[in-house]
Amino acid sequence: MLCRRCRARAVVEVPRANAAFCGGCFTEHYVRNLVVRAIRHDRMFGHADRVLVAVSGGKDSLMLWDVLLELGYQVDGLYLGLGIGGYSSRSQAVCQAFADAHGARLHVLDMATAEGFTIPDAAARSTRPACAVCGLSKRTLFNRVARDEGYDVVATGHNLDDEAAVLLGNVLRWETDFLARQSPVLEAVPPSMVRKVKPLYRLLERETAAYCVIKGIDYVVEECPLVEGNTQMRYKGLLDQIEAASPGTKHNFLFGFLEKGRAHFPRDGVQLQECTECGSASPAEVCAYCRARRLVTLPLVTLPQAIRQ
Amino acid sequence: MTVDESLATATVKLRNPDRDVTVTAPREVRQLLMEVGMHPDAVLVIRDGELLTREDVVSPGDVVEVRPVISGGSR
Repeated sequence: MLCRRCRARAVVEVPRANAAFCGGCFTEHYVRNLVVRAIRHDRMFGHADRVLVAVSGGKDSLMLWDVLLELGYQVDGLYLGLGIGGYSSRSQAVCQAFADAHGARLHVLDMATAEGFTIPDAAARSTRPACAVCGLSKRTLFNRVARDEGYDVVATGHNLDDEAAVLLGNVLRWETDFLARQSPVLEAVPPSMVRKVKPLYRLLERETAAYCVIKGIDYVVEECPLVEGNTQMRYKGLLDQIEAASPGTKHNFLFGFLEKGRAHFPRDGVQLQECTECGSASPAEVCAYCRARRLVTLPLVTLPQAIRQ
Repeated sequence: MTVDESLATATVKLRNPDRDVTVTAPREVRQLLMEVGMHPDAVLVIRDGELLTREDVVSPGDVVEVRPVISGGSR
């Protein structure tokens, strides 16, 4: 099998493009072009902007950090210590090793120290799934660090598979509010909410993983121990089955929605206010994160009383 | 005459959870993946730090990693 671009031995197949590439052409042309196209097409940020990449130690976020550094953007990393035992320790070590090797700056926010709880704490004391509490915490704390440290944009490693799986879930439940907000760019809400962007939304996760292997980027392969039963994983599995039979289906599903479907789900114009506890933009007086944190950090003996109220 | 079995097999390292499987070799990656029940689009196959395509051949004595690429949870 030969590289479509240079005819050297291919190491990566890209069925949706009916192509295969050698390592160099895959990383320096195929992948880089898709990231650059996303940044330019959606006007995500420019070279004068300060970008904060949310890194987990997984393939997507480290690959994103690597590409943005190579493209010459002003980009630092942020690792959020979720307190998930050895998994979190290994993830932080991988992020720090990447930062050290690239001479890049890594912010670390430890939830137990800064917020008084961990994700396992929250999972044990909340009725919401662990991934839901984790996602809510990440969105809030990434934004808070970006706002407090003066960054213009928060960039996350969401890829095409992530976005297609979220879209499938939102369609299956007809979550019209979520459909209205699903976008590779979430605009800032000054002064509290920083712009959020997803520069990898044109790349499949097999492609981000291949990039890391080719570039020798060490990442955490093990799954989070709290992810078992995660709905998004099931949706990804279903989409993989369809993609195997019809390459390009995930791309057509997501981009068909972004180009033709999303306009049918207008934003409802909810009035946002500043959360009285953390200052984030929120439709309620106290934002969802602060409400969750209150519940999780209450002493156990007062929980029944809190629930009754 | 005895036959060294390592000369006719390759070791496949599977992840999440980590375990090793022995397969007969030589054989194409696509056949190897069918034998261990993995879809080519859901994994990467890595030998000595290098990616392999479905058409590449795994030789006797090789050690290859089959690494899943799907990750879930919140981001």
